[in-house]
Amino acid sequence: MATVQLFHTCLINEFAPQAGMSVVRVLERLGYTVEVPDAQTCCGQPAFNAGFQDEARTAARHTIAVLEATDGPIVLPSGSCGDMVIHQYLALFHDDLHWRERAAAVAARCEEFSSFVARHHAVAATAPIDATVAYHPSCHLLRGLGIDAEPKRLIAQVPGVTRVPLAAEDECCGFGGLFAIKHADISTRMLERKIAQVIASGAQRLVSCDMGCLLHLAGGLHRRGIDITVQHLAELLDRGDGGRGDGGRGGLASL
Amino acid sequence: MGTEVVGTEVVGAWPHCENFLQVSTQTFPLRVAKALDDPALQTALRTMSGHLRTRRAAAFESLPDADTIRDHARHAKLDTLRDLASNLETFEARVIANGGVVHWAETAADANQIVVDIARHHAVQRVAKGKSMVSEETHLNDALAAAGLSVVETDLGEYIVQLAGDRPSHIVAPIIHLSRAEVGRVMHQHLHTPLTDDPVTLGGYARERLRHVFLEADMGLTGANFGVVETGTICLVTNEGNGRMVSGLPRVHVVLMGIEKLIPTLADLDRFLKVLPRSATGQKLTAYTTLIHGPRRPDDDCGPQALHVVLIDNGRTRLMASESAEILGCIRCGACMNVCPVYTSIGGHAYGDTYPGPVGAVVTPGLRGLHEWADLPSASSLCGACRDVCPVRLDIPRMLLALRAQAAPWQAPAWLNAAMRAFAAVVTRPAAYRLANRVMRLALRRRAREGWVTHVPGPAAAWTTSRDLPAPAAKTFQELWRERSSTS
Amino acid sequence: MTISARHNILMRLRTAGAPRHLPPSGQAPASIVEPAQSLETCRDRFVAEATALGVECVVARSAAEVRARVAGLLRDATVLSWDAAELPYEIGGTLTHATWGHSPRAEQAAADVGLTGCDAAIAETGSLAMISAPGRSRIVSLLPPIHVAIVRSEDLMFSMGEFFARRQDRLATAASCTVISGPSRTADIELTLTLGIHGPGRIAVIVGP
Repeated sequence: MATVQLFHTCLINEFAPQAGMSVVRVLERLGYTVEVPDAQTCCGQPAFNAGFQDEARTAARHTIAVLEATDGPIVLPSGSCGDMVIHQYLALFHDDLHWRERAAAVAARCEEFSSFVARHHAVAATAPIDATVAYHPSCHLLRGLGIDAEPKRLIAQVPGVTRVPLAAEDECCGFGGLFAIKHADISTRMLERKIAQVIASGAQRLVSCDMGCLLHLAGGLHRRGIDITVQHLAELLDRGDGGRGDGGRGGLASL
Repeated sequence: MGTEVVGTEVVGAWPHCENFLQVSTQTFPLRVAKALDDPALQTALRTMSGHLRTRRAAAFESLPDADTIRDHARHAKLDTLRDLASNLETFEARVIANGGVVHWAETAADANQIVVDIARHHAVQRVAKGKSMVSEETHLNDALAAAGLSVVETDLGEYIVQLAGDRPSHIVAPIIHLSRAEVGRVMHQHLHTPLTDDPVTLGGYARERLRHVFLEADMGLTGANFGVVETGTICLVTNEGNGRMVSGLPRVHVVLMGIEKLIPTLADLDRFLKVLPRSATGQKLTAYTTLIHGPRRPDDDCGPQALHVVLIDNGRTRLMASESAEILGCIRCGACMNVCPVYTSIGGHAYGDTYPGPVGAVVTPGLRGLHEWADLPSASSLCGACRDVCPVRLDIPRMLLALRAQAAPWQAPAWLNAAMRAFAAVVTRPAAYRLANRVMRLALRRRAREGWVTHVPGPAAAWTTSRDLPAPAAKTFQELWRERSSTS
Repeated sequence: MTISARHNILMRLRTAGAPRHLPPSGQAPASIVEPAQSLETCRDRFVAEATALGVECVVARSAAEVRARVAGLLRDATVLSWDAAELPYEIGGTLTHATWGHSPRAEQAAADVGLTGCDAAIAETGSLAMISAPGRSRIVSLLPPIHVAIVRSEDLMFSMGEFFARRQDRLATAASCTVISGPSRTADIELTLTLGIHGPGRIAVIVGP
């Protein structure tokens, strides 16, 4: 049985471990043995985006070393961390041939979760989920990695799910990491616009492939008393109920 | 020709010399707060961006090979910039061969002085001005007024800006921050026109007054959208016709252009003309595309007797030597503003200088110094919409990141510096990293009620001004994973 | 000042490593071949695009029809015109009391209609290209509120690129060239379209045989 490495990301580890377990179950249903490299920490993106490139390189070197000690494809359930490892490491080491080559070798093995799953012609299995779902394309997934059709196709394959379009769906939700704190007022205005569009869509669930956007959106909805379930794509694909509970039977099956 | 005054004087056509430009003295956060708190501005920004985005998308649908044409445009720009010195020399020689006079200005003050000197040399009193962003950059109107010249902006938006003592807030739509009623009040107050908020009527009032300006001006001033190296052509892209008026009617025409405006050939111009209007206003071409090759020829019926081209550095050579050099490829279409979620939240004035939006967040620190302008590159979620929409595919997020890296050592607050040092210290040691996260996780969980933190303490407190924070999980993913591995 | 400024600017640009941070241009993109288009295609497309821009377009089958249509459009209007010799289809002979490019500017500014030919009609964008020349004053198509332009079929071209290539020599020597794509317009006030803000708000084009 083929092995995949899971780079689980900090936010899933700390805030949404159930989404991480959903990722594992979906990958297992595709027939993979999932391994989680124990020494993984942070890809370094928060430092990189804040302009702390030395600190980002420290994290990048560690991540590269941890990942290159493993075999097989590396799955990242985040467009943002995915873009960091796949694209930005090369920029960080643009004048360091040794590390650039190592970064490129690791990047070649990395793939974002929805893209990886969609390549496997997975279809949804038995238990239908009666829900209208809106998909939020996170910016680094959409523009950094150029992935958009894949998650939408996966959502559409879940039986019972109706995907409703979001107006101006490609507009940033205002998360942006440190930006959300440093420029909280601008971030909030962007959040409010996104929330208005989510409400207007009539969706019962809001699905995305980035935990950062999801924490920001979930926090915004909760503060405003709006009852819309916010979940990672893996949770919807896992069983559709947020992945809490039975270990999952009704999600995906491989063709 | 200066005596060819047509018709009667219209009240307010030529203003007294005044200091028009107001440079903002507020800090960036204050300017942002003001903009966010202005409902009329918020509505205007939403309408404008939605409208222009839709128009742009539709216009690009009518362009076969759009992606290849954008690649060509990028390639041509970068190639020209790479050997800019030689290209400027060739361009200069062609302009001179076409009968023009070329001037070089290192600074804004030099550029303004050159224009004043040209005006004096030609005994100019009245100056009609077309739209020029570089003249906003040099505060040319102030300098001309100080030299005793009368100068009138003739682009409708810029005219209103000048009357109101305001500043443009978008490089293509200068008064997008003003409502029609506000425009009506400005014209009523300064031109004594009947009070109305009908844009067509207001446009008619402006037409009537500016027509006298065109016919009476001694000197016309314009910017340049492109300078073609091969032919020495100056290309102006306009919709109202004021660019044609000020470049064709007065006896002297002065072109102000940044040294980065060059493109190689007319064949390249053809491609740039396919993407600039589409990106800027969603048009296949603007109403007028004007190519200027020099002053009037001996037997021509009209056209200026003298053409002066002022090539302006004003920080561009410094930009060229910086990590932001790529931004010199900008063709000033404004599309990045229309798609930017930050620009469409805070508007152009919040950026504090000539160029707003994503391009301004790179250009302003580059031209004016990062120390005073480091807020601009930080005020971005790095969503990348600007890079996607840019007709020459400028990688603005990359440049914003480079500027953040330059600014970080002195701009970051103490807590962030400490956090980053701590981050680097633990990120290579998994056990320490887990411990540090555990401390934070437990601290947040202690504050949580029913799964939500409603008040985060410390430097991240701004998170919970408008959002709750989902409480961290009781067990991390790694813990769940280890439990599962040990039971299976 | 300007001589040392020139030297300093060029020197700074030439300073070793100045374009060090400029991204590589990469390989030249594939060239785009624009296939030649038939006269009929050009005429149809020109009329469609110009009409979409708000230009009133008529295709005339004979020189006599062109002259009749021009006369119908001009009627009693005061006309500012290109020199008679510069107008196609012998329209110049029909103008009895026009104002010309060399007339006093006050007279020119008072005209109701500007009458011109053109150097090219560009199909892809519905544009009229006018290269300045003696007898072809550039303000005839600018000052009056109405612009009437005559297009000869042989001047129909498909694209701007074709125009640049076919009129290369005249473009190189003329003082200026204007490509007109629809009426003068502004949307500066609340994005509300206003036509004829400074230039003509109305354009009529007669495409001749």
